[in-house]
Amino acid sequence: MKLKNIIFAILLLTIPYSLITIHSFAVLMDSSQFKIESANVEIAGGNKSSTSYKLSDTVGQLAAGEYSSSGYVVKAGFQYLHSIIPFSFSISNTNIAFGTLVPNIPSTATTNLTISFGNSGQYQVTAIEEGPLKTQPGVAVPDTTCDGGGNTCSESLAKIWSSSSAYGFGYGMSGDDIPADFTDSTYFRPFPDRTASEPPAVVMTSTNVSKNRVSTVTFKANISAFQQSGSYQTVINFVATPSY
Amino acid sequence: MKLKKIVLIIMFFTIHYSLFTSHSLAQQVSLSLSPPLIELFIKPGKAVMVAYKLENLGDPTFLNLKILPFEAKDSLGNIRIKSEFEGPVRFSLDNSELSLGKPFFLKTNSSQQILLRIRIPENITDGDYYYSLLAETNPPTAIEGVGSARTKATIGSNILVTISNSGNVDINPKITLFSTLGKVFDSSDKIPVVLTVVNKGKNMIKPEGQISLKGNFGETSKYDIISKNILAQSERMIEATPSSLMDCRERKCLFPTSLFLSGFFIGKYNLSTQIKFGENSPTIFASTIFYAFPFKIVAGILITVIIVIIIIKRNNQD
Repeated sequence: MKLKNIIFAILLLTIPYSLITIHSFAVLMDSSQFKIESANVEIAGGNKSSTSYKLSDTVGQLAAGEYSSSGYVVKAGFQYLHSIIPFSFSISNTNIAFGTLVPNIPSTATTNLTISFGNSGQYQVTAIEEGPLKTQPGVAVPDTTCDGGGNTCSESLAKIWSSSSAYGFGYGMSGDDIPADFTDSTYFRPFPDRTASEPPAVVMTSTNVSKNRVSTVTFKANISAFQQSGSYQTVINFVATPSY
Repeated sequence: MKLKKIVLIIMFFTIHYSLFTSHSLAQQVSLSLSPPLIELFIKPGKAVMVAYKLENLGDPTFLNLKILPFEAKDSLGNIRIKSEFEGPVRFSLDNSELSLGKPFFLKTNSSQQILLRIRIPENITDGDYYYSLLAETNPPTAIEGVGSARTKATIGSNILVTISNSGNVDINPKITLFSTLGKVFDSSDKIPVVLTVVNKGKNMIKPEGQISLKGNFGETSKYDIISKNILAQSERMIEATPSSLMDCRERKCLFPTSLFLSGFFIGKYNLSTQIKFGENSPTIFASTIFYAFPFKIVAGILITVIIVIIIIKRNNQD
């Protein structure tokens, strides 16, 4: 009798719960990704024009009359947004000094990349080195392959680089919108080399809402005892572009 | 004697200052370029001028302007900038003091208006051409005696040019993927939806339309497609809004999605989409289904019942 009562009490509590919750069929949204819910915003704004050009910040069809008379139609900004939002890119420190490189003791230095893009979303930041880290006479520190073996990294795949006897020059990343292969602070990649005709690597990208996205790039150099002494230098180009 | 002391003190501080300040060369770059995108529909033989605003919010720097073509890199809206200029479109600057490829100086918190003239020569065949206006900083001066990586920043703004003699555009789209990345979900799951459209035409297109969700009890929801450009001969994942957001810290959003459906789902659901690309364009359709059941709740109830039964049996044995 006691067991029956307890089971009855459990059923009394659980059945109403399941019955109550299945009534919430409506698809509830946590938040919206974009300010404009409708793609059809042609009534939102007007045209800006001068004697030499016409600008429209609204979506719309190619105006046949306007096109045939002037021979062109120009639209500025992302057509699914109300306003033209500036695209901003910052690098916190452009001079990444390693100090004096000491054999078998890795040197690291960091800089922050910041993208500010309102709510308009998609962008990418790519990185490429203009040549290997080298001295004026042309003696180079090779691009890193990380720890080697199963931890051999490439321009498109980060791997662990923690061995003090693994030499080279590379970078790791942390923060917003970075590639997923930078699992933690021990993961590194070599920079693509423009002089070797390698394509730039995407180091930040977002397909969704992006406002003040910040990532940290950690530059790392480790030289062997046989590396010639000298002032090793290179230039890294970070290119930030919005989507289309 | 007093003068000597003063001179000595001054020399002491100035020498130390000059010795120890040489390492503090941290230089910040911060650039802003507006508008981020220009779409131009133009006839051969015509020219237009577009005004850009380039702002320097960082340290004073030299900047170099250049134009390079780009192509779609993937279906996510990323681009690949080509290393050499190509195509029939001609670019120049109307600014008297500026020209493409020639560095100019921009002070902190100052801006430069860039007047870009875009000219299409006569007798150019219809088609699309895509370019980026790039503003590139000069790298800082190298520090002698230390290893260093100097960085330079480049900011871009995209220019999409459609050349058409008649004003007509070639629209040839196809839905290549419309899926929920699975057929069966728990009722409380966020359901990912992926919609990808390929543009086989010669001109870029803008999708307009909706994704519709219909449940087995007749309930419906509609999600508007965001009208992002799909470049000629390329593929793009189309997003819809409003979408719920996936918490990426849980490492659950490793794949890009068009839409996340959230709520409490139960039973069979039909998901469909209708997309058109402007007036008089064909409408394309796709549909899929998914099922959702309250697996977690049922499992929770069963576990609770089993535990209670075990406890009661033990109590009875005692």
